[in-house]
Amino acid sequence: MELKFERIAGRSKPFYLLSCGLAGLVAAGVYSTWLMHDQGLHLSGMSSRIPWGLPIVMAIFYIGLSAGSLVISSLYGVFGKLEYKPFARVATYMALLLMIGALLSILTDQGRIDRVVVEPFSHFNFLSMLSINPFLYSSYILICAAYLIVMMAGNEKWTKILALIAVLWAILVHSGTGAIFGFVPRALYNSPLLPPSFVAAALSSGTALMILVILALFRLTGRPLDKAPVLWIGRLLAVLVLIAGYLVLVENAHRLYAHESRAAERFFLLGGAHSLLFWGGLLLVGSVLPLLILFHRRAGASIRWVAVAAVMVVAGVLCERYLIVIPGLAYPPDLFPGWTITQSPIEEGIASYAMSLYEVLQALGVVALMGLLFLWGLRTLRLLPTEARRPTEFPARAVAIGCP
Amino acid sequence: MGKTMERRKFLKTGALVGAGAAGAYGLPLLTSLRASAGNALAPSAKCRWGMVIDLTKCPPNCTACVDACKRENNVGSTGDRLRDIYRIRKVTIESTLAVGVAPKAVPLLCNHCDEPPCALVCPIKATYKREDGIVIVDPHRCMGCRYCVIACPYNARHFNFRENDQRPNPAYPKRQRGVAESCDLCAHLLDQGKQPACVAACEGIQAKALCVGNLNDPASEISALIRNHSVKRLREDLGTEPKVFYIGL
Repeated sequence: MELKFERIAGRSKPFYLLSCGLAGLVAAGVYSTWLMHDQGLHLSGMSSRIPWGLPIVMAIFYIGLSAGSLVISSLYGVFGKLEYKPFARVATYMALLLMIGALLSILTDQGRIDRVVVEPFSHFNFLSMLSINPFLYSSYILICAAYLIVMMAGNEKWTKILALIAVLWAILVHSGTGAIFGFVPRALYNSPLLPPSFVAAALSSGTALMILVILALFRLTGRPLDKAPVLWIGRLLAVLVLIAGYLVLVENAHRLYAHESRAAERFFLLGGAHSLLFWGGLLLVGSVLPLLILFHRRAGASIRWVAVAAVMVVAGVLCERYLIVIPGLAYPPDLFPGWTITQSPIEEGIASYAMSLYEVLQALGVVALMGLLFLWGLRTLRLLPTEARRPTEFPARAVAIGCP
Repeated sequence: MGKTMERRKFLKTGALVGAGAAGAYGLPLLTSLRASAGNALAPSAKCRWGMVIDLTKCPPNCTACVDACKRENNVGSTGDRLRDIYRIRKVTIESTLAVGVAPKAVPLLCNHCDEPPCALVCPIKATYKREDGIVIVDPHRCMGCRYCVIACPYNARHFNFRENDQRPNPAYPKRQRGVAESCDLCAHLLDQGKQPACVAACEGIQAKALCVGNLNDPASEISALIRNHSVKRLREDLGTEPKVFYIGL
């Protein structure tokens, strides 16, 4: 049976109401961003000791989500699994939007937005992770866009080529993002495991988000959905969460074991509110509970429970993104081993960060913009199939790759 | 047969694209790595600025250097302790290893590392090391990403969170908001043959705890100080090769 992709009507009252609400949030975000740049970034919760805050946390969160969306799309694009073809277009579109959101978050976080467009081209530093990454991000956006276009044009050959390039590029993008932190000599940043663990958390959070988006879209638009592929994505999610959790455990165990990072790790594990995010947010809610659900014989086979697990994974990875950025900055570098600084005109010990309302509004604005573009994308582009049913006849290749 | 050919072609295209991307990126990366390796530790410049801080001469409660720096560089206090700029600051340290060790007052500033992590991470080379070894921020190029503030292992970098309208020194521009800030050894004064503001202030109060000079000149005062004293640099283990030397630390 041929899949038929159709636009959503987008003429209902809830559609317009939601659009207006999102547009309002975008306006609030634009206003708070403008204020922070007109008056200065002191309006944010950032300080000289914690110079990166919520915008960077959200940016790396979006970047991660984007990868996972692409994984779902690649199940069809790269591995030729036809039962995931119904989700391929919308997944690629999501990957694209999330990356745009990430770039916007980073862009609006700069002290001098006016220089962002010109300076990187005239004085590019090939050794800085922060100049390599925007190059990777923008090229990734172009690759995703090209991939979506050829997929929608029905060009199977180029869909495969671009899907493979997009997936490889996504791994590069996420390793690069992990390296922004992992390659900096701070006690809680410096780690060669950060790039792969960033990729793993990215894949799990994005996959979880796609489960939620697929379920919501098909239910809200009243289109029939075959549950088997979604449940299979749930099993894939369980594996990804396991890998991500394993990398987090190894990284933290190593820090605890090594003398030079033990004090920092103790601060990370038991040092304050962020430790709660680690134990409660990332480990319990983000990893253990979803794994219990997904591996449970009955719960793992129930769409409702898989959705609950997906929400938990997304929340857990958001905690993880916060834990990558903030505690590493809050923990001070040891300037005088064997000595402690008792007096200083600036904050020298463990620094504190409290996000300001402006930052929160800015973050909500970016989320709302992505939501708005998503809604109107569904209305203008043929992203969703009229129904997603298991294909009656599998081509030999798809079966050979193996679907449980 | 057709399928295999197609797959082979597809894989070939993928490999070619990957190799192309790696080449396009790798080549400049390698050349810049070589360039940075060439500069390290063997500055060809005749002049290589460094600083010696003699803690035995530094009066504990004196902030003459800090105050002079704020005046000279127009970075006066704004009352926001978390976001104020300190190109040089003075801290008190106490031993955690033994009791009864007298606390020490230590001026902290940019170490003008020969291998500066801040310059390494700056995405647009707004922070760079001059030929004479001074690590400097170009405030007209910096886009305020704050990666240098994060990468500096000495907390010597600050960020201009707000416009600072105080301008006690009309000869020096006021600080713009949105850019990184750190000590540049008053390069504008050194270039005119004058002493940095902190050094002049320390001499002004007859303490003479600070000395800036040419590390490449064996006849300079700073070279003699380093020769004749046991000097320490902060966190030498990090491999950043700081050029601020402490006596009595």
